[in-house]
Amino acid sequence: MNPFEQTRDGLAAFLAKVWGNRVEVENLSIASAGARRRNVLFDALRNGERIPLVATIIPNAAVQIMPIEVEAAHLRFAEAAGMPAPHVHAVCEDASYVGGPFFVTSRIAGETIPRQVLRLVEKNPPLGPRLARQCGEALAKLHAADPAGAHPRITAAGADPIEATLRAVEALVRSLLQPSPAFTLALRTLERERPPPPARLSVVHGDFRNGNLIVGPDGLRAALDWEICHVGDPMEDLGWLCQRMWRFRNDALEVGGFGSRPDLAAGYEAAGCSFDAARFHWWKTMGTLRWGLGLAGQAKAHLDGSVPSIVMAASGRRVAELEWDVLMLLRRSLA
Amino acid sequence: MQDRPTASELLDTIADLLEQELLAATQGPLQHAVRVAGNLCRILEREARRGAAQDAREAELLASVLGETPGSRDVLALSRTLVERLDAGADAALAQRAWPALVEIVRGKLAIAKPGHDAWDFTAELE
Repeated sequence: MNPFEQTRDGLAAFLAKVWGNRVEVENLSIASAGARRRNVLFDALRNGERIPLVATIIPNAAVQIMPIEVEAAHLRFAEAAGMPAPHVHAVCEDASYVGGPFFVTSRIAGETIPRQVLRLVEKNPPLGPRLARQCGEALAKLHAADPAGAHPRITAAGADPIEATLRAVEALVRSLLQPSPAFTLALRTLERERPPPPARLSVVHGDFRNGNLIVGPDGLRAALDWEICHVGDPMEDLGWLCQRMWRFRNDALEVGGFGSRPDLAAGYEAAGCSFDAARFHWWKTMGTLRWGLGLAGQAKAHLDGSVPSIVMAASGRRVAELEWDVLMLLRRSLA
Repeated sequence: MQDRPTASELLDTIADLLEQELLAATQGPLQHAVRVAGNLCRILEREARRGAAQDAREAELLASVLGETPGSRDVLALSRTLVERLDAGADAALAQRAWPALVEIVRGKLAIAKPGHDAWDFTAELE
């Protein structure tokens, strides 16, 4: 049996066990096959009913960021909070079915590739501001929910996520292969201008951006990729969403290249959370610095042989873009 | 001296091969890798032409921020010293002095690595 048939039969056997019915799996296709996770699209047939599903499989449990059942719990937490997220049908920690632990979620139609999302907005201009507003509403619903209801193993940075983030980023700056005065200047400025700890902590998605959203002609349908979800400062999510890197050349539209900050903030406040502009700017700058350090880390992973890849190597030559962005974001403080 | 074509001319030739013929002959992840390789050749072509001048200008700017005589140390050593002083935080005016120099340095890096990236300066979102 080839791996494709093995996955198909494994999914059918697992769902038959969970649902207590005979299940057939059809139209299986591999949507993405990264080193850390594979996304497999398929239809499950149960009693004549066709259910469109997605399996998120961790092919190598050694490289998973969080255990699969914890990530599934975050999706359920988000859905219960009223945030659009794929519904979790089942979680499987037994690696014998498809070669790794996995969860099965509902399959939601729409665009996820950033340029396709932007094309959709281009064809239908009112969608841009609506989508930005919906992003604000979705994040507010997640942030308003009591983090005490999250999975007990959720990553939490303690009472002061600002301090925790500064220390984590400082370690990354120190481990750079070559010194970056621009990143050091950013770190020290962010340290000097740090906001106080947030008044309340929230469950934060951690990677809410154009590229991790399912978007249809009606707007936001779901937020994907919850593997770095954690307890932190709610403004972290809004700052990350507004980084230049996720605008895909539509630089003037701060929110993912499709919307404006006032639309995002209006949606966020209409759903009951308050938008803090100073804290937002701090997190946006911090997110930019972090992404620059992430790119430098990819080049390092290529050079030390842990992930040899020309794409990872090329990331090293993108670091200057983030140095530029972070220097510009610091302009109010330094120029 | 090596014979023509120069490094820059050869890198352009390799980039043309990658971006025109190989891109069309590949698909999926390999096609993406070919596109990335083509772009890296374009970066190296610009580096072959302007890299030395950019490094010299970077050293000059860093020396000036640190109050050193230009030409006494290379870019790496100067960067390391600037990072140490910024970390120490003893000179309150250093950050203000370093900012415009670093902007010019990064602009020079971008002219090689990603021309045009510096066209957006975030003015609209800093208000």
